[in-house]
Amino acid sequence: MKYLFILPIKIYQKTLSPMFGDRCKYFPSCSHYAVDAFNEKGVLRGLLMTTWRLLRCNPWSQGGVDYVSTADKSTTRTVLIDQKLVGAN
Amino acid sequence: MGNILKPLYYAVSWVIVTFHSILGAVFGKNSHESIKWSLSIIGLVILIRIILIPLFVKQIKSQRALTALQPHMKAIQKKYKDDRQKQSEEMMKLYKEHKTNPLASCFPIIAQAPIFFALFTVLNGIAHNHPHGVLKGDLLISAQNAKFFGADLSSSFLSTGTNTQTKIVTILLIAFMSLTTFTTQRQLMVKGMPKMDSSNNMMLQQQKIMLYVFPVIFAVSGVNFPVGVLIYWSTTNLWTLGQQFYVIKRNPTPGSPAYEELQAKRKAKGEFSATDALGAIESEIPVEAPKPAQRQQPKKGKKKK
Repeated sequence: MKYLFILPIKIYQKTLSPMFGDRCKYFPSCSHYAVDAFNEKGVLRGLLMTTWRLLRCNPWSQGGVDYVSTADKSTTRTVLIDQKLVGAN
Repeated sequence: MGNILKPLYYAVSWVIVTFHSILGAVFGKNSHESIKWSLSIIGLVILIRIILIPLFVKQIKSQRALTALQPHMKAIQKKYKDDRQKQSEEMMKLYKEHKTNPLASCFPIIAQAPIFFALFTVLNGIAHNHPHGVLKGDLLISAQNAKFFGADLSSSFLSTGTNTQTKIVTILLIAFMSLTTFTTQRQLMVKGMPKMDSSNNMMLQQQKIMLYVFPVIFAVSGVNFPVGVLIYWSTTNLWTLGQQFYVIKRNPTPGSPAYEELQAKRKAKGEFSATDALGAIESEIPVEAPKPAQRQQPKKGKKKK
């Protein structure tokens, strides 16, 4: 089941992604993150984590290093707090 | 899906119809319909790209901020010469530490996708006599007959009853799209990016693959798209190319070949050229003694409010 989601991402990485060049603000990039998320957390959480990551990857975010394995609830919360702090400044 | 995008159909059709009526003042109210409709689509592209310019300027500013990080970046490149993965990871850490990030994120692309899709639907609606948004009645009939170099704006290579002219124009537009994308990519790789010792080979290889991949992607999708969508796509590609050319010439990424060229040129001219078109940005972020990380902070706060 999860390969249903991973396969299109892999195809995207091979075809469309080179067209856009390096542009993700995070490491690993959103698509690699998505593959990891589906592999490690399954379809449902994978989907949620991928969506959340894509939302965080925008012109107003700072990006940085962000692995699936370390992105448990605690870190997600810190990121949220981080962003609020930046907003408050 | 259709309901969510309905406001977008309205917006897209409204922009096109508005451009069409503005152009009526130039070309005459009921004549030159083909030119007017084609230019209206191009007008839509220009409008969207102008709206996206602030994001682009923001990106250039953060690229400028990299000047200060140059020594760190070089050190990282040297340290992880043979490990591109680790290299990018350390770079990201560095950016985060200094609260800057030169990468654009996929937002500008994702933001354009629904507009692209809406245009696709609106143009298909013209072909199938199905009005969308404000493009209806007489306007719909007029748009139905509009041509771009003899090709029907609303028909695609694969739609039934497509004439030869449409097929030829489609092929030419697909070729143009491939060419502009490839040139953009090549320009960025050759001139716009800092030289990376170990990954150079990999990039060259990737670039060679892309030379074949682009035309295939564009051909496969392009034959399904109405000519009007291909005009949109071609124009936006051309804009990207022009925008990048401008930045590489005027405001190159520190460490790239274009940057060194510009430095050499400036030195030859006597340090500073007064006719710098991006003078506004320059005065905000001093090149000589940059403290960009701190300088950007308060600005961000203001923007959010």
